[in-house]
Amino acid sequence: MFRLVRYYIKQSWLLVVSAFVFGLLLAVTNSIWSGRIEQNKNDKLDNLMSGLIADAEFAPAISDIQIDCAKGKFVKVNVYKAADKSGRSKGFCFNASGAGFADKIELVIAVDAKFEKVLGYNVLSSNETPGFGDQIDDYYFCSQFSGAPVGQLVLNKSGDSKIINSEIIAISGATVSSDAVVSIFNSFVEQVKAKTQEEGLLSDGK
Amino acid sequence: MANKTISIGKTFMAGIWDENPVFRLLLGMCPTLAVTTAVKPSLTMGLSVIFVLVCSNVVVSLMRNLLKPHLRILMFTLSIATFVTIADLFLKAFMPIMSAELGPYLPLIIVNCLIICRAEACASKNGLFVSIIDAFGMGIGFTLVLCVLGGIRELLATGAIFEIPVMWENFVPWQAMRMPVGAFVTLGLMLGIVNLITGKKA
Repeated sequence: MFRLVRYYIKQSWLLVVSAFVFGLLLAVTNSIWSGRIEQNKNDKLDNLMSGLIADAEFAPAISDIQIDCAKGKFVKVNVYKAADKSGRSKGFCFNASGAGFADKIELVIAVDAKFEKVLGYNVLSSNETPGFGDQIDDYYFCSQFSGAPVGQLVLNKSGDSKIINSEIIAISGATVSSDAVVSIFNSFVEQVKAKTQEEGLLSDGK
Repeated sequence: MANKTISIGKTFMAGIWDENPVFRLLLGMCPTLAVTTAVKPSLTMGLSVIFVLVCSNVVVSLMRNLLKPHLRILMFTLSIATFVTIADLFLKAFMPIMSAELGPYLPLIIVNCLIICRAEACASKNGLFVSIIDAFGMGIGFTLVLCVLGGIRELLATGAIFEIPVMWENFVPWQAMRMPVGAFVTLGLMLGIVNLITGKKA
């Protein structure tokens, strides 16, 4: 028994020591740069939110709420309240994510102060196919969500994309990516609305 | 002394031309095709590969006498993964836009055959100095090819180089050059030209 343990240690000591040293190196590097990486993420989020609700200041309203994305998966969501200089509520922004065609799609969604209409969305991160799926960021598709009612959205392959309602017209050649965005809206918006109501944040725009 | 100088020079130049990772060894094809839509991402990918290649060659060369034959690939992967993660964290911290543009292809350097190939073929059999020279030669050779490929694609797809317009006013951009087909066609033509130059049949 002792001989066997000795044999294994002799064979693997370099691997164990290296794993420890490299792990330590990564831990040190991460601790040095993690603050900056987090700051970059926050700056990007701020920019995207400012693009959705102009002339507003954003403050965290609810942090780390768990949203059920079905199949036993939960995603942490942070809700930000947008207010103008006088403190009047202009709406809410929150992060949302779901599986796309190539990889996870992360969005920032904005809704109005009463949580009745969608104000729009921006793409926080995605690796959708260039020239096809990456058009989820284009005006043609994004604009269909601006003014859409909060509730279940339906994706159609054809129709008039200029009519703003709960019907979203898919991007030609990128139905999977289009469906992914609609699914993210359907999974997140109503649940976030319920949580916001529970917290008593929906109060006549004040 | 003279012989040693020549062999060091040959080791370095091998990576640039004679054993160029892309043109002659056809290694690292995934980033070569995926990130060369423009010069900037190509250059960033190339510099990241040089960093990982040099660091992993140094580590492998230093521990070459301690390596057990059946554990060597595991050790190579462990060291490569560490340095790739450091490069990835660096880009996320200091070049977040470029990090987002490179997407999953930066972490995928871990499985880049070029780096494991150099660890196995050179660093595990040679001293520190030769391993570093080999890493720089191979890394610079890889970076040059990526930049040329990225330059051609950016020029034809946007009419610019380093985002500076250089083509005539009515130039019609070739959108296909931004797509995967642009990468395959350009790389194929470049390989054909290199084979013509070296007198080797495609």
